[in-house]
Amino acid sequence: MKDILIASHGHMASGIQSSIEILTGMGDSIKVIDAYVDQTDYVPKINEFIKEAKRPAVIFTDLLGGSVNQKVTLAAAKEKDIFIVTQTNLAVIMSVLLDGEELTKEHLQELIAQSQVQLVELESSSEDDQDDFFD
Amino acid sequence: MIAQLRVDDRLIHGQVALVWTKELDTPGIVVANDNAAENEMVQMTLKMATPTGKKLLIRSVDDAIKVFNNPKAGNMRIFALTNCVADALKIAKNVKDIDGINVANVGRFTKDADNATQISSTLMLSDDELAALKELVELDVPVFHQVVPSNAKTSIASMLKNI
Repeated sequence: MKDILIASHGHMASGIQSSIEILTGMGDSIKVIDAYVDQTDYVPKINEFIKEAKRPAVIFTDLLGGSVNQKVTLAAAKEKDIFIVTQTNLAVIMSVLLDGEELTKEHLQELIAQSQVQLVELESSSEDDQDDFFD
Repeated sequence: MIAQLRVDDRLIHGQVALVWTKELDTPGIVVANDNAAENEMVQMTLKMATPTGKKLLIRSVDDAIKVFNNPKAGNMRIFALTNCVADALKIAKNVKDIDGINVANVGRFTKDADNATQISSTLMLSDDELAALKELVELDVPVFHQVVPSNAKTSIASMLKNI
Protein backbone atom coordinates (compact mmCIF):
# COMPACT_ATOMS: atom_id res chain seq x y z
CA MET A 1 0.00 0.00 0.00
CA LYS A 2 1.36 3.39 -1.01
CA ASP A 3 1.11 6.39 1.24
CA ILE A 4 -1.20 8.89 -0.43
CA LEU A 5 -2.10 12.49 0.39
CA ILE A 6 -4.81 14.43 -1.45
CA ALA A 7 -4.73 18.21 -1.05
CA SER A 8 -7.39 20.47 -2.53
CA HIS A 9 -9.10 23.83 -2.32
CA GLY A 10 -12.18 23.09 -0.20
CA HIS A 11 -13.71 19.68 0.30
CA MET A 12 -12.68 17.96 -2.91
CA ALA A 13 -9.98 15.99 -1.06
CA SER A 14 -12.29 14.62 1.64
CA GLY A 15 -15.00 14.17 -1.02
CA ILE A 16 -12.72 11.93 -3.08
CA GLN A 17 -11.82 10.11 0.12
CA SER A 18 -15.54 9.46 0.68
CA SER A 19 -15.93 8.10 -2.86
CA ILE A 20 -12.90 5.86 -2.40
CA GLU A 21 -14.30 4.53 0.87
CA ILE A 22 -17.55 3.56 -0.88
CA LEU A 23 -15.76 2.01 -3.84
CA THR A 24 -12.92 0.21 -2.10
CA GLY A 25 -13.38 0.43 1.67
CA MET A 26 -9.87 1.94 1.79
CA GLY A 27 -10.76 5.58 2.44
CA ASP A 28 -9.04 5.55 5.82
CA SER A 29 -5.71 4.68 4.28
CA ILE A 30 -5.58 8.04 2.51
CA LYS A 31 -4.61 11.34 4.12
CA VAL A 32 -6.45 14.47 3.02
CA ILE A 33 -6.10 18.23 3.31
CA ASP A 34 -9.18 20.39 2.64
CA ALA A 35 -7.48 23.77 2.34
CA TYR A 36 -9.15 27.13 3.01
CA VAL A 37 -12.31 25.73 4.62
CA ASP A 38 -11.18 27.54 7.76
CA GLN A 39 -8.30 29.81 8.79
CA THR A 40 -5.89 27.00 9.70
CA ASP A 41 -2.53 26.94 7.97
CA TYR A 42 -2.36 23.61 6.16
CA VAL A 43 1.35 23.68 5.34
CA PRO A 44 2.26 21.90 8.60
CA LYS A 45 -0.01 19.03 7.51
CA ILE A 46 1.88 18.76 4.23
CA ASN A 47 5.16 18.67 6.12
CA GLU A 48 3.83 16.09 8.53
CA PHE A 49 2.87 13.82 5.63
CA ILE A 50 6.30 14.23 4.04
CA LYS A 51 7.95 13.40 7.34
CA GLU A 52 5.88 10.32 8.08
CA ALA A 53 5.07 8.82 4.68
CA LYS A 54 6.75 5.63 3.60
CA ARG A 55 8.53 5.98 0.27
CA PRO A 56 7.53 5.99 -2.51
CA ALA A 57 4.55 8.22 -1.69
CA VAL A 58 2.22 10.26 -3.85
CA ILE A 59 0.64 13.66 -3.21
CA PHE A 60 -2.34 14.48 -5.41
CA THR A 61 -3.34 18.14 -5.80
CA ASP A 62 -6.40 19.60 -7.48
CA LEU A 63 -5.07 22.23 -9.84
CA LEU A 64 -1.80 22.96 -11.57
CA GLY A 65 -0.89 26.53 -10.66
CA GLY A 66 -3.28 26.65 -7.73
CA SER A 67 -1.87 27.73 -4.39
CA VAL A 68 -2.35 24.26 -2.89
CA ASN A 69 -0.21 22.74 -5.61
CA GLN A 70 2.37 25.50 -5.13
CA LYS A 71 2.64 24.87 -1.40
CA VAL A 72 2.89 21.13 -1.94
CA THR A 73 5.53 21.61 -4.59
CA LEU A 74 7.58 23.93 -2.38
CA ALA A 75 7.44 21.43 0.46
CA ALA A 76 7.89 18.18 -1.44
CA ALA A 77 9.56 18.73 -4.79
CA LYS A 78 13.04 18.10 -3.47
CA GLU A 79 12.05 15.03 -1.46
CA LYS A 80 13.26 11.76 -2.87
CA ASP A 81 10.53 9.34 -3.97
CA ILE A 82 7.59 11.60 -3.33
CA PHE A 83 5.66 12.12 -6.52
CA ILE A 84 3.35 15.10 -6.99
CA VAL A 85 0.41 14.60 -9.34
CA THR A 86 -1.95 17.44 -10.20
CA GLN A 87 -5.22 17.93 -12.16
CA THR A 88 -6.33 15.01 -10.04
CA ASN A 89 -9.39 12.88 -10.65
CA LEU A 90 -10.95 9.94 -8.80
CA ALA A 91 -9.80 7.41 -11.39
CA VAL A 92 -6.10 8.18 -11.12
CA ILE A 93 -6.09 8.00 -7.32
CA MET A 94 -7.88 4.67 -7.40
CA SER A 95 -5.49 3.22 -9.94
CA VAL A 96 -2.50 4.25 -7.83
CA LEU A 97 -4.16 3.00 -4.64
CA LEU A 98 -5.09 -0.39 -6.07
CA ASP A 99 -1.98 -0.91 -8.16
CA GLY A 100 0.26 -3.74 -7.06
CA GLU A 101 3.40 -2.91 -9.00
CA GLU A 102 6.41 -0.99 -7.82
CA LEU A 103 5.77 2.71 -8.20
CA THR A 104 8.32 4.24 -10.54
CA LYS A 105 7.99 7.50 -12.43
CA GLU A 106 7.40 5.59 -15.67
CA HIS A 107 4.74 3.37 -14.15
CA LEU A 108 3.01 6.34 -12.56
CA GLN A 109 2.88 7.98 -15.97
CA GLU A 110 1.14 4.89 -17.37
CA LEU A 111 -1.45 4.96 -14.60
CA ILE A 112 -2.05 8.66 -15.25
CA ALA A 113 -2.44 8.06 -18.99
CA GLN A 114 -5.10 5.40 -18.33
CA SER A 115 -7.11 7.71 -16.08
CA GLN A 116 -7.79 10.72 -18.27
CA VAL A 117 -11.07 12.58 -18.47
CA GLN A 118 -12.85 11.55 -21.61
CA LEU A 119 -15.97 12.14 -23.62
CA VAL A 120 -18.46 9.31 -23.25
CA GLU A 121 -19.41 7.92 -26.61
CA LEU A 122 -21.37 4.72 -26.82
CA GLU A 123 -20.32 2.42 -29.58
CA SER A 124 -23.05 0.38 -31.13
CA SER A 125 -22.50 -3.11 -29.81
CA SER A 126 -21.32 -5.64 -32.29
CA GLU A 127 -22.33 -9.21 -31.54
CA ASP A 128 -19.88 -10.49 -28.95
CA ASP A 129 -18.23 -13.70 -29.80
CA GLN A 130 -17.85 -16.63 -27.47
CA ASP A 131 -14.79 -17.96 -29.31
CA ASP A 132 -13.13 -14.59 -28.89
CA PHE A 133 -13.92 -14.68 -25.20
CA PHE A 134 -12.13 -17.97 -24.61
CA ASP A 135 -9.11 -17.10 -26.79
CA MET B 1 -14.12 -22.05 -13.77
CA ILE B 2 -16.06 -19.34 -12.02
CA ALA B 3 -13.63 -17.68 -9.60
CA GLN B 4 -16.53 -15.78 -8.10
CA LEU B 5 -20.23 -15.51 -8.82
CA ARG B 6 -21.28 -12.10 -7.55
CA VAL B 7 -24.85 -10.98 -6.98
CA ASP B 8 -24.91 -7.23 -7.52
CA ASP B 9 -27.92 -5.21 -8.60
CA ARG B 10 -25.63 -2.77 -10.39
CA LEU B 11 -23.88 -5.59 -12.33
CA ILE B 12 -20.59 -4.05 -13.53
CA HIS B 13 -19.85 -0.79 -11.73
CA GLY B 14 -16.98 0.94 -9.95
CA GLN B 15 -16.52 -1.58 -7.13
CA VAL B 16 -16.65 -4.45 -9.57
CA ALA B 17 -14.79 -3.07 -12.54
CA LEU B 18 -11.81 -1.58 -10.78
CA VAL B 19 -11.56 -3.38 -7.50
CA TRP B 20 -12.80 -6.95 -7.81
CA THR B 21 -11.40 -7.78 -11.23
CA LYS B 22 -7.96 -6.86 -9.85
CA GLU B 23 -8.48 -8.75 -6.63
CA LEU B 24 -9.74 -11.91 -8.34
CA ASP B 25 -7.38 -11.72 -11.31
CA THR B 26 -10.10 -12.78 -13.73
CA PRO B 27 -9.51 -12.09 -17.44
CA GLY B 28 -13.14 -12.86 -18.30
CA ILE B 29 -16.35 -11.27 -17.04
CA VAL B 30 -19.72 -12.86 -17.80
CA VAL B 31 -22.89 -10.93 -17.09
CA ALA B 32 -25.77 -13.39 -16.78
CA ASN B 33 -28.90 -11.29 -17.09
CA ASP B 34 -31.96 -11.72 -19.30
CA ASN B 35 -32.68 -8.00 -19.57
CA ALA B 36 -29.08 -7.06 -20.45
CA ALA B 37 -28.94 -9.81 -23.08
CA GLU B 38 -31.87 -8.14 -24.87
CA ASN B 39 -31.21 -4.46 -24.27
CA GLU B 40 -28.57 -2.89 -26.47
CA MET B 41 -28.37 0.27 -24.37
CA VAL B 42 -27.61 -1.76 -21.23
CA GLN B 43 -25.00 -3.73 -23.18
CA MET B 44 -23.26 -0.54 -24.26
CA THR B 45 -23.07 0.81 -20.72
CA LEU B 46 -21.78 -2.52 -19.40
CA LYS B 47 -19.09 -2.53 -22.08
CA MET B 48 -18.14 0.99 -21.10
CA ALA B 49 -17.74 -0.16 -17.49
CA THR B 50 -15.52 -3.11 -18.41
CA PRO B 51 -11.87 -2.42 -17.59
CA THR B 52 -9.31 -2.28 -20.39
CA GLY B 53 -7.90 -5.73 -21.09
CA LYS B 54 -10.85 -7.69 -19.66
CA LYS B 55 -13.14 -9.71 -21.90
CA LEU B 56 -16.89 -9.43 -21.50
CA LEU B 57 -19.77 -11.68 -22.46
CA ILE B 58 -23.38 -10.66 -21.84
CA ARG B 59 -25.79 -13.57 -21.93
CA SER B 60 -29.23 -14.55 -20.74
CA VAL B 61 -29.05 -16.69 -17.61
CA ASP B 62 -29.73 -19.89 -19.58
CA ASP B 63 -27.12 -19.07 -22.23
CA ALA B 64 -24.60 -18.08 -19.55
CA ILE B 65 -24.98 -21.53 -17.98
CA LYS B 66 -24.01 -23.02 -21.37
CA VAL B 67 -20.94 -20.75 -21.45
CA PHE B 68 -19.89 -21.81 -17.92
CA ASN B 69 -20.28 -25.48 -18.85
CA ASN B 70 -18.28 -25.09 -22.06
CA PRO B 71 -15.11 -27.23 -21.67
CA LYS B 72 -13.03 -24.16 -22.56
CA ALA B 73 -14.37 -22.39 -19.49
CA GLY B 74 -12.48 -24.87 -17.32
CA ASN B 75 -9.21 -23.18 -18.25
CA MET B 76 -10.28 -19.63 -17.69
CA ARG B 77 -10.85 -17.71 -14.47
CA ILE B 78 -14.26 -16.14 -14.90
CA PHE B 79 -15.94 -13.45 -12.84
CA ALA B 80 -19.69 -14.03 -13.17
CA LEU B 81 -22.34 -11.47 -12.28
CA THR B 82 -26.08 -11.66 -11.75
CA ASN B 83 -28.31 -8.91 -10.40
CA CYS B 84 -30.52 -11.12 -8.25
CA VAL B 85 -30.23 -14.15 -5.99
CA ALA B 86 -32.72 -16.19 -8.02
CA ASP B 87 -30.48 -16.03 -11.12
CA ALA B 88 -27.42 -16.95 -9.04
CA LEU B 89 -29.32 -19.94 -7.63
CA LYS B 90 -30.20 -21.14 -11.12
CA ILE B 91 -26.53 -20.93 -12.13
CA ALA B 92 -25.32 -22.63 -8.95
CA LYS B 93 -27.71 -25.52 -9.53
CA ASN B 94 -26.51 -26.03 -13.09
CA VAL B 95 -22.77 -25.30 -12.95
CA LYS B 96 -20.30 -27.37 -10.93
CA ASP B 97 -17.11 -25.36 -11.05
CA ILE B 98 -17.79 -22.34 -8.78
CA ASP B 99 -15.24 -21.23 -6.17
CA GLY B 100 -17.66 -19.06 -4.23
CA ILE B 101 -20.81 -16.99 -4.40
CA ASN B 102 -20.68 -13.43 -3.13
CA VAL B 103 -24.11 -11.97 -2.39
CA ALA B 104 -22.91 -8.37 -2.28
CA ASN B 105 -25.50 -5.73 -3.22
CA VAL B 106 -29.16 -6.63 -3.67
CA GLY B 107 -32.44 -4.74 -3.64
CA ARG B 108 -31.31 -1.56 -1.91
CA PHE B 109 -33.24 0.60 -4.35
CA THR B 110 -36.38 -1.49 -4.23
CA LYS B 111 -39.64 0.42 -4.39
CA ASP B 112 -41.32 -2.10 -2.12
CA ALA B 113 -39.11 -1.72 0.95
CA ASP B 114 -42.00 -2.48 3.31
CA ASN B 115 -42.17 -6.05 2.09
CA ALA B 116 -38.43 -6.62 2.01
CA THR B 117 -36.16 -8.18 4.62
CA GLN B 118 -32.95 -6.32 5.34
CA ILE B 119 -30.12 -8.66 6.32
CA SER B 120 -27.29 -6.12 5.97
CA SER B 121 -26.86 -2.50 4.91
CA THR B 122 -26.54 -3.58 1.27
CA LEU B 123 -28.96 -6.53 1.20
CA MET B 124 -32.72 -5.91 1.05
CA LEU B 125 -34.49 -9.09 0.02
CA SER B 126 -38.01 -9.62 -1.25
CA ASP B 127 -39.72 -12.81 -0.08
CA ASP B 128 -38.79 -14.59 -3.32
CA GLU B 129 -35.17 -13.49 -3.07
CA LEU B 130 -34.98 -14.52 0.57
CA ALA B 131 -36.36 -17.96 -0.30
CA ALA B 132 -33.80 -18.26 -3.11
CA LEU B 133 -31.00 -17.27 -0.72
CA LYS B 134 -32.07 -19.89 1.82
CA GLU B 135 -31.96 -22.49 -0.94
CA LEU B 136 -28.59 -21.21 -2.15
CA VAL B 137 -26.84 -21.71 1.21
CA GLU B 138 -27.94 -25.36 1.22
CA LEU B 139 -25.87 -26.05 -1.91
CA ASP B 140 -22.33 -27.35 -1.78
CA VAL B 141 -20.55 -24.05 -2.50
CA PRO B 142 -19.38 -21.26 -0.16
CA VAL B 143 -21.93 -18.43 -0.04
CA PHE B 144 -20.77 -15.20 1.56
CA HIS B 145 -21.25 -11.43 1.72
CA GLN B 146 -18.32 -9.14 0.94
CA VAL B 147 -18.99 -5.77 -0.71
CA VAL B 148 -15.34 -4.79 -1.24
CA PRO B 149 -12.21 -6.91 -0.70
CA SER B 150 -11.19 -4.94 2.38
CA ASN B 151 -14.43 -6.05 4.12
CA ALA B 152 -14.35 -9.35 6.00
CA LYS B 153 -16.14 -12.27 4.33
CA THR B 154 -19.33 -13.02 6.26
CA SER B 155 -21.06 -16.33 5.71
CA ILE B 156 -24.62 -15.86 4.50
CA ALA B 157 -25.75 -18.87 6.53
CA SER B 158 -24.74 -17.02 9.71
CA MET B 159 -26.53 -13.88 8.53
CA LEU B 160 -29.74 -15.85 7.92
CA LYS B 161 -29.74 -17.47 11.38
CA ASN B 162 -31.74 -14.67 12.96
CA ILE B 163 -34.12 -14.12 10.07
